[in-house]
Amino acid sequence: MKHKKLAAAVVTGTFCATLVLFSCSKSDKNDDSQGGGNQSDTVLVNLGANVISPAFNQLATATAGLETVVTAFTNFPTSGSLLAMKNAFKDAYKAWEGVSAYQFGPMLDQSLTTHFTNSFPADTAIIKSNIAGASYTMDGLGNFAAQGFPALDYLLFAYNDNYVMARFTTDANATGAKNYLKALAGALKTKAAAVANAWSATGGNYVDKFSKATGVDAGSSLSQLLNAFVQDFDVTLQNYKIGIPIGKYGPNTLPISPEKVEAYYSGYSVALLIAQLQAIQTMYLGGNGGGIDDKVAATTAKNNGLPLNDAIKNQINTLLAKLQTLQDPLSAAVQNNITTVNDTYTEVRKLTVLLKADMSSALGVKISFQDDDGD
Amino acid sequence: MMMVINHFKRYRHIAPLAVLRMAFGAVLFVSTVRFIVKGWVTDFYITPRFHFPFYGFEWLHPGSAGCMYTVYGLMAAAAFCICTGLFYRIATIVFFCCFGYAEMLDKTYYLNHYYLVTIFSFLLMLVPAHRYCSLDVLRKPALRVTQVPSWTILIFKYQLCLIYFFAGLSKLTHDWLIEALPLRIWLPAKAPTVPVISSLLHHDCVACFFSWGGMLFDLSIGFLLLYRPTRRPAYILVIIFHVLTALIFQIGVFPYLMMSATLIFFSEDFHRSVLRKANSGEEKQLVFSRPVRITLLWALSVYFLLQVLMPLRFLLYPGSLFWTEEGYRFSWRVMLMEKSGTTYFYIKDPATGRKFQVNNGKFLTPYQERMMETQPDMMLQYAHILATEYKERGITNPQVTVESYVTLNGHGSRLFIDSARNLASEKETWFGHKNWILPMDEKN
Repeated sequence: MKHKKLAAAVVTGTFCATLVLFSCSKSDKNDDSQGGGNQSDTVLVNLGANVISPAFNQLATATAGLETVVTAFTNFPTSGSLLAMKNAFKDAYKAWEGVSAYQFGPMLDQSLTTHFTNSFPADTAIIKSNIAGASYTMDGLGNFAAQGFPALDYLLFAYNDNYVMARFTTDANATGAKNYLKALAGALKTKAAAVANAWSATGGNYVDKFSKATGVDAGSSLSQLLNAFVQDFDVTLQNYKIGIPIGKYGPNTLPISPEKVEAYYSGYSVALLIAQLQAIQTMYLGGNGGGIDDKVAATTAKNNGLPLNDAIKNQINTLLAKLQTLQDPLSAAVQNNITTVNDTYTEVRKLTVLLKADMSSALGVKISFQDDDGD
Repeated sequence: MMMVINHFKRYRHIAPLAVLRMAFGAVLFVSTVRFIVKGWVTDFYITPRFHFPFYGFEWLHPGSAGCMYTVYGLMAAAAFCICTGLFYRIATIVFFCCFGYAEMLDKTYYLNHYYLVTIFSFLLMLVPAHRYCSLDVLRKPALRVTQVPSWTILIFKYQLCLIYFFAGLSKLTHDWLIEALPLRIWLPAKAPTVPVISSLLHHDCVACFFSWGGMLFDLSIGFLLLYRPTRRPAYILVIIFHVLTALIFQIGVFPYLMMSATLIFFSEDFHRSVLRKANSGEEKQLVFSRPVRITLLWALSVYFLLQVLMPLRFLLYPGSLFWTEEGYRFSWRVMLMEKSGTTYFYIKDPATGRKFQVNNGKFLTPYQERMMETQPDMMLQYAHILATEYKERGITNPQVTVESYVTLNGHGSRLFIDSARNLASEKETWFGHKNWILPMDEKN
């Protein structure tokens, strides 16, 4: 009798435990509704409201400004409106660097990604054929390198002003060129506006969702943010913006490929690198509020005897200083002064290691997260 | 030895075995179906271009999508049959073979609990767990027995004791006990998603408490479960421990596996009352013939000797175990380290002197890459994959070097592998030390 009761108790107990566990067990990847319920995280609140959302507003404003001057130029192509367009392009490109670390959630939803917005070098053959009247879809397969900032970089800066003016005025395909220019600027403006709205508290209010998806599991905001930001730094900045031009990355770039830098035609590469790193620094430090630094400082993690947080902050500053010694155009530096660029790459690599290995590990976030059975 | 032989002569009621079969079979079934539903068959075996088979199993390759789904379908069906006791012998063999095959294909997916499943399904193959309260008995009433040699039950108890005990031994480290690492990293990180005790997890003393509690639990629980007077409180501890780990960490079905497996420790009276409906009927002993008894005795002796030696094989290697991971797997080292790395592979063509970095994403899935980045034996396999690939692309004798930075338990990243060594010419061995792994204490 005693055993019967015990058996019943154990069976019911195990069953209840199982039920409880399954009902509160964490859901799967790609489900960003999960996270720690309604408790929000002050760092996430600050980053969302005061760092990330404003960066998207900045991009929305800059791309809207670009679109306005592009329209003005296509209506009345003058050297003055061409210059206005070039300046607006640089502002917008810089604003893009301010958000490229945030490629998750709304940016993915709107295809405002490096792939569609900043695939360099631009595919000039496709751009020319699109201008000449080939039918194309902006985000269609194969058009990724014929759009975004690299395409504008090519159209506005590849040749001297006279030639550029001619392309949009006297050339046989001038109308096609004007239309394509408008389409490029229009696509950027539309996507940027949509993302800014999706994040905005008065719009899609992703900022609220972002602040509440706490914890470090797949789908949590911290995991999404750090994965996106580390990938942006590791792949886009380290490999594409510097590694490929100096011939360190991939078999097809040897010995050097200066023409593969970002913003090759406008020669604006270093300025953009600095903008990207400054944006990362702002995000890491959290502006005037809590940032990733506070989370790292709360751990005991060390690097080479220094608290990890100090090591990261120092390395960001070291790299910034190094970037500031480089001079635009970067392509010329790659050709004539490769030692400085190589040195910069070494400093980039050090920061990559600190972010990808040390920081992620200290915060318990898995980089390249894939859901699994755990252990 | 006499005691061991006694277990072949002494008889016990079969009920504990039948309950274990049902409970464990049910968890296996759920976990296999879950694996399929989550799309992991595709993610783990179909999508990747390359795999990391275990040493000695390089001849195994994943089949086509149809083949892999068939394997997992068979596995699910076999688990169902194990649970219900239908065609039990065939079902256990099928399950063991399918599961073992999938496990050997790629060490990326190695988990201690998969190893547990592998060896439990092996042990289930040897015992007559279907001869009571099963569909096989319904099908063929002559199969029904009530008394089985006591070893059939004891092997599971001993196996579980070994698992917990070695898990406890492996926690006797400076980091775990004194620094409370990695729990001091994980608990605050996981805190926001943990119900009820969330606010507690931020305190260092809680990490300490969990570290020591976990160590003491693992070292003692086997004995507490074996000893009758402490058995009931011990099982309550088992439930508390595994429920807690399940709430805090993403560890899938592991807690359920352990909770179902440890049921075996309860007395036969307990198990008989669970299965009271099946109790009617005559008592009958299952007698193994002498040759079978002798074979099993030897086989199980060798098996348990291996079970003791495997977790100790790390002693064969110099250096820090957690750093080199030589002798790390198959040793019940669970959740002991927060290790993370970033690794760059370089190909050099000695003919031209040209050297470039490889895009790992072109060869590996993110999951494979992440696991490879902290595990030297996987790096070696990957280096060989790269050498083969670039030979096909026209480099006659590609040299593969690696620049790898790894951090262990927040101690800071440092160079992990001798970046001057050409890994394409290094070979894997059974128990040889990889002397191209840099020692952990060397500052770089």
